[in-house]
Amino acid sequence: MTHADLDELAAIVLHPHDVTDEVRDHVASCPDCGTLVASLADVRRVAGAEALVPAPERVRERVLAHVRAPVAASQPHLAQPVSLPVGGPSLVAAGRRRRWARDVPAWTAGLAAGVALVAGLGLGRLADGADGPEAVDPPAATDRVVAAADLTALDSDASRGMASAVRSDDSITLRVSASELGDEDGFHEVWLINVDGSRMVALGVLASGNDGEFDVPMGLIEKGYRIVDISVEPDDGDPTHSGVSLARGELA
Amino acid sequence: MRATAFPTLPRQRYGDDVVTGLTEFDEKLDDGVQSVAARLVEGDETAIEEIYDRWSALVHTLALRALRDPHDAEDVTQLVFVAAWGSRHTLTPSPTAFPSWLIGIARHKIADVRAARSRDADRIAAVTAGPDAHVTTLESADGEIADRLVVRQAVQQLPDPRRTIMFLAFWEQRSHAEIAETTGLPLGTVKSHVRRGLIHIHQQLEGVRR
Repeated sequence: MTHADLDELAAIVLHPHDVTDEVRDHVASCPDCGTLVASLADVRRVAGAEALVPAPERVRERVLAHVRAPVAASQPHLAQPVSLPVGGPSLVAAGRRRRWARDVPAWTAGLAAGVALVAGLGLGRLADGADGPEAVDPPAATDRVVAAADLTALDSDASRGMASAVRSDDSITLRVSASELGDEDGFHEVWLINVDGSRMVALGVLASGNDGEFDVPMGLIEKGYRIVDISVEPDDGDPTHSGVSLARGELA
Repeated sequence: MRATAFPTLPRQRYGDDVVTGLTEFDEKLDDGVQSVAARLVEGDETAIEEIYDRWSALVHTLALRALRDPHDAEDVTQLVFVAAWGSRHTLTPSPTAFPSWLIGIARHKIADVRAARSRDADRIAAVTAGPDAHVTTLESADGEIADRLVVRQAVQQLPDPRRTIMFLAFWEQRSHAEIAETTGLPLGTVKSHVRRGLIHIHQQLEGVRR
């Protein structure tokens, strides 16, 4: 079955005198073509809207800041994926804080490379456990280091210490032993960033010196929270990542 | 029944030169959208910039009309494009992919704002009138608003001379002969542009209405 060309149907709506009788007859007897003509005619009815109102320039900036900084909660519902006392960055907070938007490139530096490395090397024991809780727990040995990370500066390979995940009975502890974090004002906070680049949790603060131990919820590392990050945080009451990372390394 | 009444259609009636040029014009339009869609799916950040520049006014205006609050409209616009980036793999690149996809996302975000508002309203006042009827009215009005804005945006984005011709024809209700005179283009060319412009807008709308 051959229908009338869309161009002909548009002509019926726009300049019916130009249309041949054949086309007219066909459309009159063909429900499909008739519906299309009605639908084309309806387009005219909804034409005439006033000019669109552009969004203010700041909206564009916020959108692009999110796009370029996946951890800044580009997926709002994942902003607090794990129930911890201190949550990840909230969308609104991240979107409205210029400091965040500005600092994020430094914050995310090296993340892509880290993820690529993981993809290339595989993850040994941890990766085996990624898909099922039963694989996480091989026969118990207490106080066993299940994963470790060399911490380095973000802009060079300079060593910034190390971190290790230690399993004892039914808990996991992240032992951080950092070095040369510098003397920038603020305190040092330890985070675990998911290798998906869009989620993170705060573990706590290095309260005295460069060493600290942090309880890590079971299963968290296996869910992909493998990147250890140490940030410097100003005392501004804002619980989200400052955007300034001093050290980072990936548990493997 | 005359099932095979029109084995061929006399396309060339409008003049080969004009139609060939117009077809290229159409293909260029379609290819542009298709390629930015493909780049978005691949994760090219510059694609979301282009998409934002092209369709953010549509989304923002829709949110503004639907929510009648500049602050909420800004938030919705931001959420829509951030969500678009986050779920870019769900987009199927096609020449008409964007308005329907973006408006689909926008409707969800607008609904979220309304749900939050009505939760607030519920807290303040006990339910007296039927809230469901109210919501339905608002949403069907949204459909009409969305259609109108999609048409406006589609025409605004057309390259000239088609854009000018469409404005003269649909906004100023000028006859094709008048438009030919104003633009200095042959009448046949004007008619072809209006027809193809109408088809283009229709295709953009189809996706939104589906």
